[in-house]
Amino acid sequence: MRNLIAKLALAAAVLGSGLGTAAAETANIWVRADGSNFMPRIVDAYNKAHKDQIKLDIIPNAEIIPKYGAAAAGGTAPDALSLDLIYTPSFAAAGQLEDITDWAKSLPYFASLSPAHVKTGTYKDHIYGLPFSADASVLIWNKKLFKQAGLDPEKGPTNWAEIAADAEKVNALGGNIKGFYFSGNCGGCNIFTFTPLIWASGGDILSEDGSKATLDSPQLRGAIDLYRSMVKKDLVPAGAQTDTGANFFAAFAAGNIGISPSGAFAIGALNTQYPNVDYGVTFLPGKDGNWSSFAGGDNFVVTKGTKKLPVVKEFLDFAYSLEGQTILAKYGSLPVRGDIAKDALKDLDPRYQIAAEAMAKGRTPYSVVFNDLINSANGPWTQMINEVFFGDDVDGAIANAQETMQSIIDQAPQK
Amino acid sequence: MTTIATTTTAPPRARKLAGAGRRQWIGLLYVAPAVALVVVFFLIPLGMTAWMSLHNWPLMGEHSYIGLDNYVAILRDTRFWNALKFTAYYTVIVTIAIFAVAFPLALFVERPRPLTNLYRTMFFMPAVVGFASASLLWSWLLNVDSGLFSPAAYDLGLIDKKFNLLATFQPAFWSIIAMVVWKVAGFTMIILMAGLQSIPQDLQEAAIIDGAGPFARFRAITLPLMRRTLALALILSVAGSILAFDQFYIILRGGPRNQTLTAVYWIFNQSFVSFKLGYGAALSMVLLVILVALSLVQLWLLRKPEGLD
Repeated sequence: MRNLIAKLALAAAVLGSGLGTAAAETANIWVRADGSNFMPRIVDAYNKAHKDQIKLDIIPNAEIIPKYGAAAAGGTAPDALSLDLIYTPSFAAAGQLEDITDWAKSLPYFASLSPAHVKTGTYKDHIYGLPFSADASVLIWNKKLFKQAGLDPEKGPTNWAEIAADAEKVNALGGNIKGFYFSGNCGGCNIFTFTPLIWASGGDILSEDGSKATLDSPQLRGAIDLYRSMVKKDLVPAGAQTDTGANFFAAFAAGNIGISPSGAFAIGALNTQYPNVDYGVTFLPGKDGNWSSFAGGDNFVVTKGTKKLPVVKEFLDFAYSLEGQTILAKYGSLPVRGDIAKDALKDLDPRYQIAAEAMAKGRTPYSVVFNDLINSANGPWTQMINEVFFGDDVDGAIANAQETMQSIIDQAPQK
Repeated sequence: MTTIATTTTAPPRARKLAGAGRRQWIGLLYVAPAVALVVVFFLIPLGMTAWMSLHNWPLMGEHSYIGLDNYVAILRDTRFWNALKFTAYYTVIVTIAIFAVAFPLALFVERPRPLTNLYRTMFFMPAVVGFASASLLWSWLLNVDSGLFSPAAYDLGLIDKKFNLLATFQPAFWSIIAMVVWKVAGFTMIILMAGLQSIPQDLQEAAIIDGAGPFARFRAITLPLMRRTLALALILSVAGSILAFDQFYIILRGGPRNQTLTAVYWIFNQSFVSFKLGYGAALSMVLLVILVALSLVQLWLLRKPEGLD
């Protein structure tokens, strides 16, 4: 017994000395499964070069929010997490995040960090999140099918009329080949790839501060007509109507689709998993030219009250270095530092340059109730897109969604 | 469920234990593990749910006591009542469908005949698959582009254009009913079969001698004597259907156009999509009350008639 006590005392002494400034600390970080390609690489690189360590947990996309909430309530939240940027306002509003305004503004390259990320990372003029990984929406087309259909395989569509015309020509090849694909029952996919069509034409679905839903616009109706006309002409596979996102990438990767709106992530995924698909990348165009993109990805946020803040900062600083940005770019995320983006992408597939340019001009809607409005499979946005693309009552669907979205915004907790 | 336990087992136990104080303590000791399980995994969480339902309890951040405000909000929550309405509709349809399939199956496999065991196993097999896995399987079977039903019908020339079963309400709803019947009927069949086998053969024989036909025997002997079995199967089926979630979440995502949102689905959405745990807890309490009330009504309807047994 006495022996045991002595051992415990020794252990305590060792632990105690471990808390001193000299010893290495380990901070725990979570990332959603979307980051499972690049995150372990950058954490490994950091751990090899630093005394302080990062312990990484990868959480399934759909579970990271409830799991984090439960962990925070139980006092076991990670020190920091890489969070889908659209959630940053609602997390900040809940008082869950550490205010990192001063540190962020002290970074010499602060001004060149992805503006879309910094905007969503800012709540009531304080910064709670900084850009970590980035993904921009783009349009991809299948060069082989373009060639077969007698189109110029090196030239993607640059306006809506060309999208429809090219899709129709590819579709005419017949058999299993279809002209166009989109996930018709997936709110998240369509905010990412459909709203840029509206933005590029001068419209928007939410006001700048997220306080007003502005669905009923000629630009939205125009974009809807584009999709409806393609559905009507049978250019889109029947499964699109009920695709909740499972085929968002897979449909194009199978090689039977002419054109599909997608994201920068598709470049890395196609290159590594489907090397036989010959594809081109271009911007998501507006009605008469011009273009836009949804700037997506993750913000890096710090749990309020964590004691590992120095480690977390050191890690983020490393991620922002040229080495960190290059690792991110190589494994599927766009760089988030504009000033060194070109260098980080230098040796990579040139198609990334298009995506990086899209990212730089990309936009992100701002809302503390983004999940309720847009991403929820049962929210007003998802319901509307399915009705307007495939249903009979476009006017009713838009009016209904406008009303529901506004009421969700109005009922959101104001703090 | 507790009511069944007390009415069926309490009287004999009470007689045995009377006058044996020591054995009573031993009895308590024996049930202690079960009681502990019920307390830890049912009563305490239930109490916490009730407590949370009185709060504005977001997934993250501070919670605050708001009394009955959540319950007042439920009264105005038309989407919850619509979900409840759909759940009721689904429960009625699916329960009828399950019994319509399970009862003939039970009659078929009850009597010994060649290959009975094979049939029993075959019909029961889907019941051992989890609801989530079964939903994933059917999600694939029902897929219009890469699944089984629609592509097979198309390839066989039965339809001239692939038909998306999940795109409109009626085909989507009946696909789910088919899937649930496939999954659950075998289990109900086993319960009903046990009930059928417990009916004494001599009653049937006496009725045959008296000249009763098969239908008359079924109505006057089989059905009344299966009252308890039917009550059990019915309550299990109704409770399971009212709590339906997996199949609608995995196969339909509440679609097409939110027409298949069940009550539990709505609770899940409020709690983990909108992050309103307190409100979700209040909805759960309302659903619990409804479920208990329904079970009591069913037990009362299928109670033992006076003087029987």
